[in-house]
Amino acid sequence: MSEQINMTADMNGNDKAQRQLERLQATLNRACKNVPFHRNRIQEAGLSDITELKDIEKLPFMDRTHLATHYPYGLFAVPLRDIVRIHTAPGSGASPSISGYTKTDLMIWKKMIAGAYAAANVTDRDIILVHLPPGLANWARDYKDGGEALGAGVIPNSPLSVAKTLMVLRDYKVTTLVTTPAFARHLTAHMFDREYHPNELNLKQIILVGEPDDGRTISELRDSLHVDVRLNYGLSEIPGPAVAHECRYHDGLHINDDHILSEIIDPATGRPVPAGEKGELVLTTLSARAFPLIRFRTGDMAKFLPQACPCGAASTRIRWLAEQADNYMLISGIRVSQAQVRENLKSALQLPSISCTIKKSCRSGTDILSISLTMDNDLFSDEIKNLQQLIAYAEETLTEQNGIKVKIRLTQQRV
Amino acid sequence: MLKIKNLRCCYGNIAVVHTVSLSVRQGELISIIGANGAGKSTLLGAVCGLLKNWSGEIEFKGRALKGMSAPAIVRQGISMVPEGRQIFSPLSVMDNLKMGAYTRFKKDGKHRVAEDLDMVVQMFPILKERSAQLAGTLSGGEQQMLAIGRALMARPALLVLDEPSMGLAPKIVEMIFSTIQDLSHSGVTILLVEQNARAALKISDRGYVLETGKMVLQGSADELLVDDDVKRAYLGKDYGDFLDERNQ
Repeated sequence: MSEQINMTADMNGNDKAQRQLERLQATLNRACKNVPFHRNRIQEAGLSDITELKDIEKLPFMDRTHLATHYPYGLFAVPLRDIVRIHTAPGSGASPSISGYTKTDLMIWKKMIAGAYAAANVTDRDIILVHLPPGLANWARDYKDGGEALGAGVIPNSPLSVAKTLMVLRDYKVTTLVTTPAFARHLTAHMFDREYHPNELNLKQIILVGEPDDGRTISELRDSLHVDVRLNYGLSEIPGPAVAHECRYHDGLHINDDHILSEIIDPATGRPVPAGEKGELVLTTLSARAFPLIRFRTGDMAKFLPQACPCGAASTRIRWLAEQADNYMLISGIRVSQAQVRENLKSALQLPSISCTIKKSCRSGTDILSISLTMDNDLFSDEIKNLQQLIAYAEETLTEQNGIKVKIRLTQQRV
Repeated sequence: MLKIKNLRCCYGNIAVVHTVSLSVRQGELISIIGANGAGKSTLLGAVCGLLKNWSGEIEFKGRALKGMSAPAIVRQGISMVPEGRQIFSPLSVMDNLKMGAYTRFKKDGKHRVAEDLDMVVQMFPILKERSAQLAGTLSGGEQQMLAIGRALMARPALLVLDEPSMGLAPKIVEMIFSTIQDLSHSGVTILLVEQNARAALKISDRGYVLETGKMVLQGSADELLVDDDVKRAYLGKDYGDFLDERNQ
């Protein structure tokens, strides 16, 4: 029986397109049969059959608002009894985001993540430490499962201080660390502050998730720790991590074409951009049973790398760009809607209008959301204690709503 | 090796296979599973040239099969074991096997056909014991072995089997599937159509699930074996009570 992780990796272009077409047709047949949302939209598009991969361009897009509209189970394509895991993430709107997995889905995800590990030279002789923030708890579970499927020793996500995490890294002889760029930077800084030498560690590779390369983190980690650093791409809400991974040549990310069909579109027009030009990444799942995505707009900007990769794999390659196609911010893998944050802040402060700027910053190895709130007459109180309490309440509420730490700073109104 | 793209098969005006795509690579053992009337045998009919009214593309080793007659398709290297065996009952076992090499005598000569005959009787010793016996007097399992042996006599690059377990006792089914697996290990590429989904998937590399003429699932055999839809519909697992409990 075949146990191949990525069947299309060694296929030529035609064979890969054939396999993807087979899977796309089956996905659409299942989605039409089981999900009224997909059935109605495909019928409205007037599309009787998909006969070429290019026909997918005739189908409408899905985005995060559809997930919220059909919350919780409206987009599930199998009966609830077939679901064995329900993932919940904070989501970027009013409701949490949800996705479901059948046994087969979990098996496929395990294989995909095991494949991403294998591409990073992780084997059953490695010890993996997964260290991800609470907002990425689902990924932490998936990276644990994938590592176990590969036969590696896995230390699952545990809330440890940075000092103790460093002890675990050194004493448990961890060879592979799965974490966010922010924590990897923090850990490195802590190591050098404590005068640890990288040679004391057995660390061979770091798998970075959640954010694209900012142009310096990866090279700094590589140089300071003398380890291989691989980037993985995924969606924190759905369907999961390791949708794409870097190979040993570190030149773009290989998409798992067996299970994901990727497009890059102009976010303004929705039209595909010419190969090599940047645009918004759109994903269609090809094997997901429980929660199929059809032309899902990720909000992440990327461009296809049309040249063949020196590693020889024929899979589609993308360059993941450090920008967003919409007004979302990507903070350690969690997507935060700036508009939603403003709305939430207004309601927490019980004010009709506010003026604020929102940005990402880093504190103690964790990326946080920093809000500079302009003090105005509505907000002002002569009781400083009351004001402090109100701000603390707003910070707590927003942290809970977004699944990421929020810090509010009051600034003076400009006159 | 075999590539089917957007196949649509009709009986008169009624379409029974709707825009189906599938592929078989060299050396693979692929199963198509599905209930009665799903369109499995119709699909095989189109591949083997027995059904003419189809549209779409069928390519074998890069060559389009559209318009080819069934014997021409056998010469291309596709050999079929039909549903219900369809052996030549009034002929002897040996003559049935020789009929399998019908398209090869001119091209390959008697010597090579005799070599293959030896190979087949080694694989199925019972056929040697009964070589002079009329094929119609064999048991169901023996007839199935004869049908497979006859198909192998065409020295196929792709062996297509239509419901080889049909009407056979469980022990015989086990033996037939073990033979199919041995054939696959020896390098023969196999396309297997079966209602006995579990037995078929257990020996397959990948599988496709057809439902009322549409492909609804495909994947590696281990993925399909744990799939609840497949279990319910084709593996005969009764979920009734369990479902009711979870729906409450």
